[in-house]
Amino acid sequence: MTERSLETLIDEVVLGLASDSDRARLDRMAAEDPELAARLEHVRQRFAPLDDTAAPIPLPDGFWSRLFDRLDTPDSTGASRATASDGAMSGGEGSSGVVDFGEARARLTRWRRATYGAVAATVLMAFVAGWSLITPANPVVVTLLLNPSGDAVALVESAPDNTTRITLLEKPDVPGGQVMQVWTKPDDAGPPVSLGLLSDGTSGTLATQGLTAPEAQQLYEITLEPAGGSPTNLPTGPILGVGRANGPVT
Amino acid sequence: MDYAALIVACASGDRTALKTLVDAEGGRMQGVARRMLRRADLAEDAVQDAFVLVWRRAGQFDPDRGSARGWLYTILRNRCLTMLRREEREVSTDAADVDTTPLPQVLASAYGGLDETTGLRQCLDRLDPPTRDAILASYVMGHSHGEIAGRLDSPLGTVKARVRRGLIKLRECLS
Repeated sequence: MTERSLETLIDEVVLGLASDSDRARLDRMAAEDPELAARLEHVRQRFAPLDDTAAPIPLPDGFWSRLFDRLDTPDSTGASRATASDGAMSGGEGSSGVVDFGEARARLTRWRRATYGAVAATVLMAFVAGWSLITPANPVVVTLLLNPSGDAVALVESAPDNTTRITLLEKPDVPGGQVMQVWTKPDDAGPPVSLGLLSDGTSGTLATQGLTAPEAQQLYEITLEPAGGSPTNLPTGPILGVGRANGPVT
Repeated sequence: MDYAALIVACASGDRTALKTLVDAEGGRMQGVARRMLRRADLAEDAVQDAFVLVWRRAGQFDPDRGSARGWLYTILRNRCLTMLRREEREVSTDAADVDTTPLPQVLASAYGGLDETTGLRQCLDRLDPPTRDAILASYVMGHSHGEIAGRLDSPLGTVKARVRRGLIKLRECLS
């Protein structure tokens, strides 16, 4: 990396313009390189006065008691996914601090969760039963994607080489200038990775290289992105459907 | 207040130390989070998450390697950015929760709030206003290149290049 591109990377990480993967990369580099860590810290200090321009807002009632309750429950938040691999001074969430989409939303829509699960289980059983009779391919995992209302919108079948067949179960509402993009998280604690675009707005099969074989519980989702795909290479638009993979019954 | 000592105390399980940090910085952190997330309810979530992370990562904090207060804000900012980039933003909410302050006003107030004697303020002064606003919008509001491009109605590549040139000028001015 050239000196200038490293400086730009540091600036963009501090400003918040860098992608999660770039941020994680810089945090990893800084964890091993005290000189780089010092430069990163220096740039952070440079912009920190802007934080002090935000007027303080009193914390809501009960803030501390809610926080207190969370301190002992390791799995109550995506925030707990931090690991020792994050740089000591990074303060960053790194690649391991990414909160998965469903989980973060669930905090606001907890009541829907039970419905999601029940619908998913029922529909999935129906599909796996029917599908295994009519498809010759042997997907290693099958994922039913549900929209925020809990309706099944797509079935995703993923082969060991990550060839991924997406069967839309509902006619998607894709506004002009936008496209459906399919994502997965091969590493649950890592960033989402694009599997490709469903450019013509219909079901399709996507092939991708370089990912580990999909596993049960792996997250899949489809988001709406600007034509040509997400400009940040991470999901930016609303979620059309999201779900976790299941291994088919054999 | 000795923030570093408080963080070190958190690492040994001292909840009073965490409470002291919450009392000292929670309000400001709520302000920073609200400015980025534009919603009081999400801002509280972000500040809560940030303090949970502070609690869990306190053992990784190294006072020799940087500002303790800065460490709190870096954790908070990263949490807010993750929420901005990842979460579905369609969840209905009380209108009262949503901050509708127009963007130019938010940026002007951040910029105006910088002490005129600071290097950052003086060097931002030297940038052309659209570039300055782009840099402020990214730090203060967590806007992505794409969001800045949309607001300026400019192509994404042009905006990225403009921000990079602005950052180079800023670095040269500040060094």
